[in-house]
Amino acid sequence: MDALPDAPGKRALAVLAPLVFALAPLQLGDFPLSVLNVAGIFVLGTIGLNLLTGYTGQISLGHAFFMGLGAYVWAHFGGHLGLPLPVWLLAAAVAGGLLGGIISPFALRLRGNYLAIVSLGLVFIGIHIWKNFESITGGATGFTGDTRAASVGIVDFGDLEVAGRAYTVDQSFFWLIWAVVALGVLVARNIVRSRPGRAMQAVRDHDIAAAVIGVEPARYKVGAFVVSSAYAAVAGALYGSYFNFVNPDHWNLFLSIQFIAMVIVGGVGTIFGSVLGGLFVGSVPRVIETYGGRIPLIESLGVTIPEFNAILFGVVIIGFLVFEPDGLAGIWFRLKARLRSMPAPLTKEI
Amino acid sequence: MKDFLQFLVAGLAVGALYALVALGFVIIYKATGIINFALGALALLGAYLTYNISQTWGVPFFAAVVLAMAACAGMALLIERLILSRMVGRPTFAVIMITIGLAIVIEQGVIVIWGGATLPLDDPWGLRTMPLGDVVVAQSDLARIVLAGALLAGFFALFRYTTLGVAMRAVASDQEAALAQGISVRMIVGITWAIAAAVATMAGVMLAAGGRGVEPSLGVIALVAFPSVVLGGLDSPIGSVVGGAVIGIVEVMTAGYSERIPEFLGANFHRVTPYVVLVVILLVRPYGLFGTKAVQRV
Amino acid sequence: MVAVGGRRRPRLAALAVVVLLAAAAGCGRDAAVTGEDGEGREVGGARQLSPVPGFDLTTIKLGALTPLTGPVAGAIGIPLTEGNRVYLEKVNADGGIAGKYKLELIAEDNAYNTDNTKAKYKQIKDSVVMFAQILGTPPTSAVLVDLKTDRMMASPASLDAEWIGEENLLPVGAPYQAQVINGLAYALGDGGAAGKRVCAFAAEDAYGEAGLEGLQFAAKEMGFAVAAIARYTTTDTDFTAQVTQLENAKCGVVVMTSLPTPTNAFLGKAQQLGLDPQYFVAQSPSWLPTYAANPLWQKNVLYVAEGTTWGDETVPGMKEMIADVKRFRPDQKPDTYFTFGYAQMKAVVELLEEAVSAGDLSREGILRASQNLGTVEFGGLFGDYGYGKAGDRKPPKANTVFKVNPGVPGGLEALKKNFASAPAQMYEFKK
Repeated sequence: MDALPDAPGKRALAVLAPLVFALAPLQLGDFPLSVLNVAGIFVLGTIGLNLLTGYTGQISLGHAFFMGLGAYVWAHFGGHLGLPLPVWLLAAAVAGGLLGGIISPFALRLRGNYLAIVSLGLVFIGIHIWKNFESITGGATGFTGDTRAASVGIVDFGDLEVAGRAYTVDQSFFWLIWAVVALGVLVARNIVRSRPGRAMQAVRDHDIAAAVIGVEPARYKVGAFVVSSAYAAVAGALYGSYFNFVNPDHWNLFLSIQFIAMVIVGGVGTIFGSVLGGLFVGSVPRVIETYGGRIPLIESLGVTIPEFNAILFGVVIIGFLVFEPDGLAGIWFRLKARLRSMPAPLTKEI
Repeated sequence: MKDFLQFLVAGLAVGALYALVALGFVIIYKATGIINFALGALALLGAYLTYNISQTWGVPFFAAVVLAMAACAGMALLIERLILSRMVGRPTFAVIMITIGLAIVIEQGVIVIWGGATLPLDDPWGLRTMPLGDVVVAQSDLARIVLAGALLAGFFALFRYTTLGVAMRAVASDQEAALAQGISVRMIVGITWAIAAAVATMAGVMLAAGGRGVEPSLGVIALVAFPSVVLGGLDSPIGSVVGGAVIGIVEVMTAGYSERIPEFLGANFHRVTPYVVLVVILLVRPYGLFGTKAVQRV
Repeated sequence: MVAVGGRRRPRLAALAVVVLLAAAAGCGRDAAVTGEDGEGREVGGARQLSPVPGFDLTTIKLGALTPLTGPVAGAIGIPLTEGNRVYLEKVNADGGIAGKYKLELIAEDNAYNTDNTKAKYKQIKDSVVMFAQILGTPPTSAVLVDLKTDRMMASPASLDAEWIGEENLLPVGAPYQAQVINGLAYALGDGGAAGKRVCAFAAEDAYGEAGLEGLQFAAKEMGFAVAAIARYTTTDTDFTAQVTQLENAKCGVVVMTSLPTPTNAFLGKAQQLGLDPQYFVAQSPSWLPTYAANPLWQKNVLYVAEGTTWGDETVPGMKEMIADVKRFRPDQKPDTYFTFGYAQMKAVVELLEEAVSAGDLSREGILRASQNLGTVEFGGLFGDYGYGKAGDRKPPKANTVFKVNPGVPGGLEALKKNFASAPAQMYEFKK
């Protein structure tokens, strides 16, 4: 239902994306790469939250908790024990999914506002655990790894050397992170385009109605929680390895809010939008910081660039919700529709 | 026993602060069905306005509080009119997120205007205390408790005996039916925002009073007060006061008797006890102690 | 769902990846440049400098990652960076490093946040020779691995003892542990509180842990038992529990390893509930200049930090600093963080002088210079620091004990200056 009219655009994307993926690290410096790397980690987490919030309608402010969990899985299995990358990445996914599954029964009993608040409690309880479970988390001081443990076989992303050429950590982590992002996008696409995805949306739109037509809401709510938490944990594990440092105060409410902002800015209920949202929230503040000095208006308002950025973050959330509820993905699809000069109705797709 | 009473009073005072914030949440929730995450930011703004009016412009303290409440209420009304009124009919999720966006803008705006330093509020209570039997009660704590009680009584009277209150209840129970009765739903929603902002200002001022001063982290009180709101039930004013008191007392007691808490629970366990209480209660009663169970229509 | 036309796409994509990866293999980038070309060459007996990232043969650029916005900025980030700048401007006015190379400081806002610190680090690392300031323990930890990978040197504006053993860091000042030990040594010694019961009020973070380490060590060395330890968290609004706990323990001396707002609230509650020890011992991060006018602080608080009363010309470092303040920042208000930044820049400048005289301003050159730096004297603004190989460094263990006196500039009057108590001298900082 989507491939025919879009085929040229999609084919272009299929060629362009790998091109950018392969070449960007060779063309960009460490700074833009580090911004894109953090953005990639955000994208992964955003996809997870979008599956939960955008597709299944469960508002969670606890996403930072699961990301922190993943970071500490890296800390133990990677940074401390030095096990290879596939081990801790998988362990993070399993741990995230498992804990998500344990916590999801609350989600079954609670709706909307109540769920938002209780999931917020998860963040506070999480920080308490991170600060007190010292043997693994390093306590209040945080955890610094002996190694990034970012190796798969002979390829070590922490110290990449191919054919006698050495690559910086930012270059090699770009490939690592965005490869995982690509995998995450594929998995998420498969989920939302198959029966579970439609069932999730039915649950979101009306869970009792969904039950009436034979979709068991409980099953899909738990499922969405498990998958979403696994995504967050994988993102957290990559974050831990990339930074080689895990700070308990990092997994706070503001991080959860950032994720929700990314879902909104990108587009609620689209995987493609999650990619755009993560990239936008992850990189636009840096762009403004770098080039903001050239925007005369900012300084004349008596506001410094970082202050401007902080306010802008809130304004962007509000602006998208009020004026562009379909997010960047919505703008993109509309632009495309206009380019084809077809008055095509805005259809949500990934 | 003396310690116990001392903790009890402190717990009630903390609970009164939570209750003040919780009342702000409840009134908006009752009329609109959303949680206003910007309430903490409004409390912050209200406290800074009070500082500005009383310290910079030299208006007497209590008059300054009233003026700040009015100003903050006006601001909230404006926000409701300009932004939230456009969101009628949109998913709850989207509206909640807007309030989060508002919270960020207001908090940052406050820092831009007043800077990040702690500013003295010079409230009439300061660090003064009064003895009450064995225990020592800070006058600011007493004021908190009295104010929370007075506000609750005010709410009760408002909902029960005034036309406005009846209209608010009508809007809360069914917006369309209220509209059919000739009630301006828009106006009522606007008024609830204004009232919530005024209450939030009071909460912010009372938090800053007693020597703490006005500083950018005052808004965190709203997050810390969440368990009280949910415990009491999102749509129950009496629930928010009971919830506030319970959470406040549990929190101070856990901190006060921290030496008796098993070590594996970790230092500062009192930070998470409100959430532990909350989770346990919600498992038994998913709509809080006093909340009404929403009827799901297909 | 997949249309016929879409079938070929994956193969096309795969092909593109293969081709590009092949191309990529050929054009890897030596981005891990550590400035091998920065090695000095012998020219007529004198070492000649070569240009390296951050040095173009005329100007030496330095980085700073510090909060310039938000709550930490006004209290710490901005005055500390001003201190950095004033010392730097003095050096430039005197001709620069080795009399000819001017210094330039590129200060970036890290908002006291690890993500920002990382990004800003990457942003400017290739345009500076080293980082003259990274403010805060978590931000420093967040870029430590990059400093190691890039062979970059940085000076942390944080008194954590962790930094002593890191060869990529140039710490200054006596760590938090020493502050507690010296503060207690003063209180129980000259202060006349011998035999009083000692308690603590501590934050739940790296700084709080460091303070408690110092306390436990002091207890062992000085032969007292810690009567009670009260912890708090950042969201606490009421300190009745903590005050009552310490009151029941009959504390005569309370060590406060805490941040400004909670410390102030704790002191208020202590007064209300009648907790009245002989001394509250406060550590350097708990202070804000506005507290000078606060009676709570004037009564029985001992404030442990570095240096001396602002404007005390009997201390040479202070005399020099006051002269520079008059010359370059006549409007600068007395501020302990300004002093910190000023003294910190002194260490950085000495390091650069050493590197320049060895003829190598590359990252390796600066690291090597730090090992040959020897002892840097701070003229009493800090204790003198014995640099050298990371394992052999001798950090200062001296502090100054102040009392709060609104009558002196800055509100802090030195009671006992730059002393390292006997137990502090015994303290071995573990890596």
